[in-house]
Amino acid sequence: MSEAKAAADRLVKAKRLNALLTPVKELRKSLAEQAAAARPTGVLYGMPVAVKDNICTLEFTTTCGSKILEGYRSPYDATVITKLKAAGALIAGKTNCDEFAMGSSTEHSAYGRTLHPLDKARVPGGSSGGSAALVAAGAVPAALGSDTGGSVRQPASFCGVVGIKPTYGRVSRYGLVAFGSSLDQIGAFGRSVHDAARVLSVISGRDPKDATCEDRDPLRLPTVPESLQGFVIGLPREYFPPDLDPAVRRACDRAVRLMKEQGAAVREVSLPHTQYAVPTYYVIAPAEASSNLARFDGVRYGPRADGATDVRALYRRTRGEGFGPEVRRRILVGTYVLSSGYYDAYYRRAQQMRALIAQDFRNAFDRGVDLLFTPTAPTTAFKAGDKLDDPVSMYLSDIFTVTANLAGLPAVSLPIGRVKGLPVGGQFIGQAFLEDEMLEAAYALERVVPGAEEA
Amino acid sequence: MSVTRDDVLRIARLAELEVDEESLPALAEQMSRILDYVAQLSAATGSDGLRPFVPGPDAIRFRPDEVKPWPLAAGPDELAPAFKDGFFVVPKLGQFE
Repeated sequence: MSEAKAAADRLVKAKRLNALLTPVKELRKSLAEQAAAARPTGVLYGMPVAVKDNICTLEFTTTCGSKILEGYRSPYDATVITKLKAAGALIAGKTNCDEFAMGSSTEHSAYGRTLHPLDKARVPGGSSGGSAALVAAGAVPAALGSDTGGSVRQPASFCGVVGIKPTYGRVSRYGLVAFGSSLDQIGAFGRSVHDAARVLSVISGRDPKDATCEDRDPLRLPTVPESLQGFVIGLPREYFPPDLDPAVRRACDRAVRLMKEQGAAVREVSLPHTQYAVPTYYVIAPAEASSNLARFDGVRYGPRADGATDVRALYRRTRGEGFGPEVRRRILVGTYVLSSGYYDAYYRRAQQMRALIAQDFRNAFDRGVDLLFTPTAPTTAFKAGDKLDDPVSMYLSDIFTVTANLAGLPAVSLPIGRVKGLPVGGQFIGQAFLEDEMLEAAYALERVVPGAEEA
Repeated sequence: MSVTRDDVLRIARLAELEVDEESLPALAEQMSRILDYVAQLSAATGSDGLRPFVPGPDAIRFRPDEVKPWPLAAGPDELAPAFKDGFFVVPKLGQFE
């Protein structure tokens, strides 16, 4: 019981970050109740896990950071929540995010922006910025996010924590409010690789309620390897362009040197279609979003606009009032690329390019590379407001993360140093369903890299 | 600029999304920027005739066809803005364009 109080106290202390959407009183009451009911034999017994607000929970509201779901209470738990509870974890409130997970800065939330824990003028990254900020601030040991184009890894990189996006199909999406259904995966944040991996292991595995979830056993936690002897790590040259922020490059160079000292064989590889990844993503993701978000119409749940005299006016007004600017832009772009006369030029083209991007990865892995190592993001955390008026420049902060979603591969971001006090993340991209191998490398690098020191 | 004010209105109608007059110029400008940016895909070669890639299981697995209630904590009567006698209540159907 006192542990529940301590968990709530830590979350309340981080209140200034605007990372948590759950009211304090409700959080305290629920944590106490959950702690009393938690199964003492569970592997996460007593562990508070904060949950991104686009994952359905019976406790607390599920708003996706949007006005269109203001006050919405899910009538069921997402499968990941059922699994966390069965393992004895406590659902430690819902975290702020970009509306419907669309954004890279957590500025596009109807409930205000989340602050970076180390510099309140900066963004924590996004879209799972609230989850990353709470873990970085020490308010929770772990949190859940969702990653459609980098929304777990990029905020992990900006905030200096670990973020894992599993292979597409590793974790059930039942109860995750859909954004881009062929790209979305629920991922885990932790202060260490081990904390994030423990949570991932619990939430992974088959689920009859999600047909895209693979029929596999939960992920088994790897052991920490003695060294990186035997690992072949590829550095894709397209991820280290000449205009890469020199500080990010310096941190990556140091990480690569340390991996070599640990016995890894490092070689340069090429993923030639990387330059098309962001445009491909920004056709496919909005197309899927425009279709998925059609369900929010003011009829079955959520608030409804007043005064409409016919049903289509009701849809239009409810959606017009309920969706924020970035979500509207994406719905419009998605509807445009799927509309008659444009489908072939945009959507089909993007789907075909996606096949080439996935093939790039297969080619690299076929040539004997076990894992790829890249920067997670091209910069450190940027200032709030810097990219708000320029959607394309905001989209480019996902340049190193969208490829893993397009190809359905697992990836992890971990802190590899700081530059002027701001964290830099390094990313491993692994082969499909070989998370254990990827996490072994992350454990080994984490042990030797001074992640919290200047690079 | 590739997207006009009228394009935005047409697309917004398809998307059942109300957009107000004053936001139209900015929306047209931003959509143009985004669409001009993604148009670089048309310059890429080598993808013609490729099968689209979709991750996930190769085949859909079917569940056993049996009734298995997954009870909800709240029914539509509690979730919907307007619900009566087992029906969602909405205003009348308007004129179709």
